[in-house]
Amino acid sequence: MSAKKQSVLANVRELPSNLWHSIFRNPLPHNDVERSATSFTNFFLHIHPVKVNKNTLRPIYTMGLGLMSFFLFVILVVSGILLMFYYVPSTEQAYDRMLDLRGSVAFGTFLRNMHRWAAHGMVAVVFFHMCRVFFTGAYKRPREFNWVLGVVLLLITLFLSFTGYLLPWDQLAFWAITVGTAIAGYAPLIGKQIRFLLLGDASVGQEALLRFYVLHVALLPAIATLLIAIHFWRIRKDGGLSRPARAEGKPELSISVQAVELDPKRTYGLQGLVRGPLVKVGNVPENSVYSWPNLLIAELFALVVTLAIILIVSLLFNAPLEEPVNVMHPPNPAKAPWYFLGLQEMVSYSAFWGGVGVPGLFVLLLILTPYLDRSPGGVGLWFSRKRLLANTVFLTFVIVNIAFIVIGTFFRGPNWSFVTPW
Amino acid sequence: MRLALATGAFVILIIHGLVFYKQFFHDWERNQYAYFDQARGLAKTEVERASVTGRSPRIEQLIVTSFGETRVDRCETCHIAADDPRFANYAEPLKTHPYSTALGDYQKDGRWERRHKFEDFGCTVCHDGQGRGLEPGYSHGEDPFWPDPLLGYITQPGWRKEYLPALKNKIYLEANCAQCHTEEGFSGTATVERGRKLFFANNCFGCHRIEGLSDGTLAPDLSEAGKKYKIDYLWGKIDDPRASSPTSFMPKFNLPDEDKRALVVFLKSRKGRNFSETEIQRFRLHLTGGAELVQANVKPVDVRPGSERETGEKLVSDRSCTACHKLGDRDGGIAPDLSFEGLMRDNDWIFEHFRNPRSRVPDSVMPSFRYTDAEFHAMSADLDSLQSAPPIGAPAETFHALCERCHGEKGDGRGKIAIYLDPSPRDLTKAAFINSKPVERLLHSVRYGVPGTSMPVWGKVLDEQQARAVLEYVFATFTKEPRHDVKPHNVPESNPVPSSAGSIARGEATFVRRCSGCHGKKADGKGPNSIDLLPRPRNLRNSWFVNAVEDRRLFDSILYGVQGTAMPAWIDYGLTNDNVGDVINFIRSMNRKSKETTYASAN
Repeated sequence: MSAKKQSVLANVRELPSNLWHSIFRNPLPHNDVERSATSFTNFFLHIHPVKVNKNTLRPIYTMGLGLMSFFLFVILVVSGILLMFYYVPSTEQAYDRMLDLRGSVAFGTFLRNMHRWAAHGMVAVVFFHMCRVFFTGAYKRPREFNWVLGVVLLLITLFLSFTGYLLPWDQLAFWAITVGTAIAGYAPLIGKQIRFLLLGDASVGQEALLRFYVLHVALLPAIATLLIAIHFWRIRKDGGLSRPARAEGKPELSISVQAVELDPKRTYGLQGLVRGPLVKVGNVPENSVYSWPNLLIAELFALVVTLAIILIVSLLFNAPLEEPVNVMHPPNPAKAPWYFLGLQEMVSYSAFWGGVGVPGLFVLLLILTPYLDRSPGGVGLWFSRKRLLANTVFLTFVIVNIAFIVIGTFFRGPNWSFVTPW
Repeated sequence: MRLALATGAFVILIIHGLVFYKQFFHDWERNQYAYFDQARGLAKTEVERASVTGRSPRIEQLIVTSFGETRVDRCETCHIAADDPRFANYAEPLKTHPYSTALGDYQKDGRWERRHKFEDFGCTVCHDGQGRGLEPGYSHGEDPFWPDPLLGYITQPGWRKEYLPALKNKIYLEANCAQCHTEEGFSGTATVERGRKLFFANNCFGCHRIEGLSDGTLAPDLSEAGKKYKIDYLWGKIDDPRASSPTSFMPKFNLPDEDKRALVVFLKSRKGRNFSETEIQRFRLHLTGGAELVQANVKPVDVRPGSERETGEKLVSDRSCTACHKLGDRDGGIAPDLSFEGLMRDNDWIFEHFRNPRSRVPDSVMPSFRYTDAEFHAMSADLDSLQSAPPIGAPAETFHALCERCHGEKGDGRGKIAIYLDPSPRDLTKAAFINSKPVERLLHSVRYGVPGTSMPVWGKVLDEQQARAVLEYVFATFTKEPRHDVKPHNVPESNPVPSSAGSIARGEATFVRRCSGCHGKKADGKGPNSIDLLPRPRNLRNSWFVNAVEDRRLFDSILYGVQGTAMPAWIDYGLTNDNVGDVINFIRSMNRKSKETTYASAN
């Protein structure tokens, strides 16, 4: 009896540590085997390779932009869900709810600030992430499709931000979406239909608000989450982050499994079926370090930096809330959100070419980039000499785009006439 | 790396601390604690004391549903003593809302009772501001985006500095009183009443529409001015109409500040629909357009035969014609001089012009006032009687007295009323134009006027010698370049192309292709290029003008251009006599000759 009692007591005594070990299979690692096991057995860490190339960890190489985009997305999801508790997608109530958020809801202003600034930040960071990938030639074989996914994710980010823009239902929201959807209406053949599908009406109103809300809180985040997952998964499957090719004569990787004709009579282990280059414990690839703690600290650092910046900005600057919607009184000029001001600027020259033709071509070119540029050289280096032409063309696009956005934002006054901001 | 991480984490921690501090130590809580302290001290009975003791801060809110959309007023969260008479001498925010018999408050058993109880009315129904906010800046409407800052108390950044003192005044609150107290003569809304009277006395109603009051069509509809605009904007528009929209042709009325304020209060009270209106009243108003209300405000005058001129004189003076026109020593500085109107226009012209100014001067900005024909006859009789010619002295003085008001001190066509005139007065310094026209034609324009424009007939004021002398003065002083002989161009005397449907159609095609860029597709002189041109392209639907011009002059202007203007010589662009003949037939076809549009010479 007492032995049994003893054992119950012991169980209770050991409960914390048993609980701990049942959750975390490995103790804090002290040697390489444990480091490997930690990465391997933790759900949140298993997306990481056990060992990671040193080039991947060079801050100047990735600048953490991809991770920052992801962390911003996480911040947006969390703050967005909290905001959903207070928001009603109704033209009658939406603006009052904004006033309540600003006036009397606990942490309301701060939540809204975080959500707004993180959204703007995400658009910018995703764009810069794309620039980084291009300038380092990281979209080349075998990462072509991940680049395509990335371009789609950029578009989804823009659309997420755009749909969220309408929700406060103030003058800024109303007229920005009116302008934005009008641009969509310039698409040939189906422009009017797309516009109608988006708005559910001939103009921005209750239907549009509801549609944008559903797109913003359900559909687009779901798609984005799925695509982000695939985007990450493919990083692993495409052999980790891009890095410079090794010098001649040195082995590329410690092991590489050849694809062989499968013999139907043989039994294969699971590992045997995996094709392509992969990193395997025990065979140490040169120039690599353990993910735990090297990669994890780098990731944590990106998280801390992102969060700190968003918090500071949210503390210092309040998200704008303009007049309640007045359908009869457009501001002059009525401007789209800043990331579409480049478009609006181009639309002011030509509705079709500026709003649909040029951007459409640009997106198409972006998606096709890895299939048009098949030369293997220059991967893994910023502004590689081998990629002078491609980088110059892309840089020109980036500068022109930014220039248009700057002109649209700061240099356009009433009636879209040129003004100087000082 | 680890240091950077630690620093970052520390920053995050600090910000969380700040945010939580702000969340849990509100400013309004401090106000409420102060109130509880004071109220405990002021409490005379145990019950009073007990009611305060143990109270903890909370958001106080009034939900008001009786006035339009539901309002949530949380003002009493800070102004917690608003209804506590013991705090009458405290400073804001812990101050009792004053009791006043003017507001209908009354005393009962030595205690004040409010006529407008806060739980029924809330705060923002009368005061404006943003009821939902808890931060003073936002709730008082200091945020420039908020459409209704506390009326008369709060001014927003971005409002014009020089207006600010005038805009802080409790009197503006009357605009909100008038949302319920719509009856005329209500003592609480005397300023609104005064503004309404000014709206009619200054002839604002002639141009502006206000639902149920007036139906002017020349200027923006002000039915919802109070909802759309803040008082700073309204004041600015009255004070200097062109300051914010340079193309406005609204006159700058020089009103004293009290009048401006009364007008602003009146306009601020125009919010489209007020609380005391029912659906059916509104529909009735919609049906009648409110025309009878104008008549009620501008009472028709009984004109007795025989005393027409005297009645007219009184009407002209009562109805503020001199708010715009010059008459004797009174001058509104906006419209032409009427001091010797009888010498320049005849009775018929004046009467018809009264009834519809644009029937005589097609681009006139003068409103069509809705007075009775009898009144118009009386006023015409009065103006027609103004026939004493001014003394004519030296040409320089004559120019100064008669021409300068439109053509300007420097003869550049920028006289003080020039901006209100369309077509604009001729720029006499443009030698290219003046010297390309024969003196006889210029003389004709002076002596017989230019039909369809504001250039009157000076023939009865100036004889031929005097008119010539003025012209010589203009040549010498403004045009300056010596005149040379004008060689007449070789153009047909009259249109060789007979007018026919085919000719008109060909003319229209040519017109649309060659002329519409400046003269406009409607030939009204308002083509897309016209805004950049001075003088403006001619309105070719101005029948008075077009019918007074001979074919020869049209041929000359089209084929050889008009020097000193943007009109090119079309002969250089390949137009032949036949082409021009078609175009002239097209222009003439839009300006059929009739009794209405043929100019009756003053002589």
